[in-house]
Amino acid sequence: MDTVSVKIPASPAYLQVVRLIASGLASRLGFNIDEIEDLKIGVDEMCAYLTGAQGRSGSLEITFEVDGDSLRINGSGDFEAGQKVRTNLTEFSRMILDTVVDKATLEQNGGRPKFSLEKSKVS
Amino acid sequence: MLEKSEIKELFQRYQEATSEAEKLRYREPLVTQYIGLVEFLARRFRNRGEPLEDLVQVGTIGLLKAIDRFDLEREVEFSTYVTPTVVGELKRHFRDKGWAMRVPRRLQELHLELRKIVGYLGQELGRSPTIAEIAEAASTSEEAVLEGLEIAQAYNFASLDAPIDTEDGGSTSFADQLGEEDGALANLEYRASLAPEMEKLPERERTILYLRFFKGMTQSEIADKLEISQMHVSRLLNRTLMKLREALEEE
Repeated sequence: MDTVSVKIPASPAYLQVVRLIASGLASRLGFNIDEIEDLKIGVDEMCAYLTGAQGRSGSLEITFEVDGDSLRINGSGDFEAGQKVRTNLTEFSRMILDTVVDKATLEQNGGRPKFSLEKSKVS
Repeated sequence: MLEKSEIKELFQRYQEATSEAEKLRYREPLVTQYIGLVEFLARRFRNRGEPLEDLVQVGTIGLLKAIDRFDLEREVEFSTYVTPTVVGELKRHFRDKGWAMRVPRRLQELHLELRKIVGYLGQELGRSPTIAEIAEAASTSEEAVLEGLEIAQAYNFASLDAPIDTEDGGSTSFADQLGEEDGALANLEYRASLAPEMEKLPERERTILYLRFFKGMTQSEIADKLEISQMHVSRLLNRTLMKLREALEEE
């Protein structure tokens, strides 16, 4: 299993970098363009919980794990104290994630909000 | 319609005119004479997400420039001279103004190229193409394709409610095209936690959302159904989701 990780400021402006890495790795696995766009939607959806629309003070650490035909993306937020982060997915997010990726979880773990996404190549 | 000799005379008078008022007087019939051509050329750029009347306006600026710059000494008809000027103005409009943020020209052109290739490859292969396949068809690297796809999100499609032109020159809207699905859309509103926000969405955004997440259609399939490019579907979908996320945050 190969791993790539990146640490970015917790701002929506940096999510483009995360999407590019995700799509680059997915492309290496031979994902088609629909699958790649879906993966990017999944990444955006999850990261949006961590960064919020306006960004937060702190950072996100995103790890990409390439495993056979599938890509797993784990993210966690390291924020300055006092910033409330929602860690239960809305019904709508659940629906989006169920459509675009194979597995998606969001939780509060050890004081940090964390997410995990997994998507395998279908075609 | 004016005779060639009349056009020539108008140009002569226009160029010799000394006052603004006089210039306008001679320019007016020239504009009227060629506005049909501008409309014809502008129509070639429709289906790129900008209202036709805006395109005509942009094309008209090109026409005015052409009238200003036309040199009677040259042995060329004005109608020959005006076409590239108007088309150039329209192209510039898409290159410069069509983007929500400043994107280097190299990437803008790559984006337009990719849009074509993705559509064509999808048809050819009967499935969604991979990045490697797109890169090969575009004679570029996979990195460049990925960059191009990412940058596509910066492309600004003016109005989401804009009517779409049909093949036969008529006009329709997504609501008209997809009337049969409206009943099911109501369902979507109740099931999702964002009901009021969803209702506020333009018809087309809601439709794409519905087709993707409730009908399980892929972006390519939606693109085929709505007769727009896959990249356009991707862009609209991403924009919609972003809006909804922001709305959620405000709750």
